Amino acid sequence: MTNVGTGAAGACGGVGRRGNGPRRLLWTIWAVLAGLGLIGIGQRVAGGHLPAGYGSYVPWGLWVALYFHGVGIAGGAFVLGAGGFVLGVPGLDRRDVLRTVVVLAIAAIIPAFMGVWLDLGRPERAPAIFLSPSFTSMMAFNAWMYNAFMMIAVACWLLSFRERSGWLKPLLCLAIMFSILFPSQSGAFFGVVGAKGFWHSALLPMLFLASAITAGAAMLLFVLAVFQFKDDCGTGCAALRYLRNVTLAGLMVYFVFEFAEFSIALWNPDVHAPAIELILWGPYWWVFWIVHLLLGGAIPLGLLLTRRRAAWTLAAFLVAVAFVSARLNVLVPGQAVGEIEGLQEAFQHDRLKYIYHATAMEYLVGLFLVAAGMAVFHLGERINAWAARWTASPA
Amino acid sequence: MSMDRREFVKAGALAGAGLAATATLVIRDRRPRHTGDPRGQETIRHLSALDGVPPRIGEDLLIQMQRDLVKAMAKPMEQRRWAMVIDQRKCVGCHACTIGCVAENKLPPGVVYRPVVTEEGGEYPNVHLKFTPRPCMQCEKPPCVPVCPVRATWRRADGVTVVDYDKCIGCRYCLTACPYGARTSDFGEYYTDAAAVGADGVAVSGGRAPWEDQPNHEYGKRWSRGGHRSPMGNARKCHFCLHRLEHGELPVCVTTCIGRATYFGDISDPDGVVTELIARHNVHTLLPHKGTRPRVYYIA
Repeated sequence: MTNVGTGAAGACGGVGRRGNGPRRLLWTIWAVLAGLGLIGIGQRVAGGHLPAGYGSYVPWGLWVALYFHGVGIAGGAFVLGAGGFVLGVPGLDRRDVLRTVVVLAIAAIIPAFMGVWLDLGRPERAPAIFLSPSFTSMMAFNAWMYNAFMMIAVACWLLSFRERSGWLKPLLCLAIMFSILFPSQSGAFFGVVGAKGFWHSALLPMLFLASAITAGAAMLLFVLAVFQFKDDCGTGCAALRYLRNVTLAGLMVYFVFEFAEFSIALWNPDVHAPAIELILWGPYWWVFWIVHLLLGGAIPLGLLLTRRRAAWTLAAFLVAVAFVSARLNVLVPGQAVGEIEGLQEAFQHDRLKYIYHATAMEYLVGLFLVAAGMAVFHLGERINAWAARWTASPA
Repeated sequence: MSMDRREFVKAGALAGAGLAATATLVIRDRRPRHTGDPRGQETIRHLSALDGVPPRIGEDLLIQMQRDLVKAMAKPMEQRRWAMVIDQRKCVGCHACTIGCVAENKLPPGVVYRPVVTEEGGEYPNVHLKFTPRPCMQCEKPPCVPVCPVRATWRRADGVTVVDYDKCIGCRYCLTACPYGARTSDFGEYYTDAAAVGADGVAVSGGRAPWEDQPNHEYGKRWSRGGHRSPMGNARKCHFCLHRLEHGELPVCVTTCIGRATYFGDISDPDGVVTELIARHNVHTLLPHKGTRPRVYYIA
């Protein structure tokens, strides 16, 4: 797919010779995801919400989890990439890398928006969030903040082509502030809901910020290792090492936070405990133990502790993908415990149950969102390469 | 840090301006706002529902409540405070209120405004059943209102929390915010779409029954779901049958209750049936620890 590396050439441990094979593989993966995803989109358009598994007692499902995962990746990747540029971290202090960071953030946010847009009951009214918002709602806040962030990020992208700009770094600082605020605020989105015992926790914004930094660092590490610094063992390796260290630290911080929350709730069971028991021993126990802990935690930790770059890249990929389970494990169990016992038996209907199983349509649309993210990234990097050539050419 | 002082000052100014703008927006929207609901004289209704029925001592409770309703509607909206009292000792768990509500508001599958929760207690042979009808609690501090991102839901001056179906974007944030599970989403289901399917899965007689697209009259408007129109895709909830109150009729759950267990009225009227019930009995509310201050009271 994308091939716009501009780093210094040289030998680098663990980096093999690359030809058209990886590109062909990426295109094939994209074509499969897009093809399957289009089937899901077709089902969503034709059947509305009827083929979906969410209902009125568990109103949000996979797409909302993907939304928060996408915006988390955008925020985390931007904080580290743009922060690295402002602070002069070797490898990240280059303008071409900064532009890739902006493209990555936007490529993560756009499919996230698409996911939540498809989740709306009346998607055609989505502009109302911008035209008549109520800022007592975290949802309106979220939407505005992401869009403000995107506009500032695009402004930074444009300024990055100017030889000297006194506004680039100040604007980057503002965008960094937003990209710290909105992942934390995603946690507050749930934290302010007093009706859900599991969500109503001051730790949630911190958990969301930690998972955003971790998944964002991992995604940036993966993207830079595969596309930007593929043959670079100079400053590129330094940048990758920095991102690997952040991912490692992020993983440990996240799991410490998670342990703190789980252990306290289980030690002295309170309103949190039923949701946590659902996470650990419920029908989706494997999401926590296998996807989250093993694929998103233990294996990446082991790989990141090695000195091989290829291992870091694989670990980064695992973290970036498997950390969606962190979102799911907050989202679904929080809704799956009702306050009024016996409510789901009071009026029987499939959409009036405290259980949620994502349907094939939801998974297919999820694949479409991933394909859309890849397409936006590819297109963005193409524009990056084209704009870099254009601005470098003599007038 | 590879920023010069000028860049640093600019960054600080931008961040400060961003935070100030955010704080201003939050404070502005946190302040009580005008909802656009009509108020004052315009909301007064002189209803003739009981003009030909002279009052008499010991008359039926429904007639008494209807008199209270006519009296309340003669006041401006902001002077009415609608409330409901449910006597759980009288509720027999017949679900007539649930079904009456479904019929009145033409609720599609998966949408319910007033389910009746059944609790079993004790040990054989000393067992008992307790029924808890659960309409919208019409909370004084409704948690579903501030979470709406587009101001599509608000609490009226008479205490009823309403939804503007023409504004609601169907995000379902309000569903998660209600601790009582009193809001349901209209996902677009129909009763008859799957009703005539044979054992082999083949539709015996296709086509949706035309009555499914007949309009309901919630909030005094005609709402037909045909052609994916609102309230399809919206959040829906009990509204104390506001459209019936406007015509001097009690909420349908009150009139269909065979055990006379549901009472409705204006608690700002010191002589009203509900005011008297609340004062006389040791009433309780659901989930009081949530701090929502419901306007639905239970006598247990």
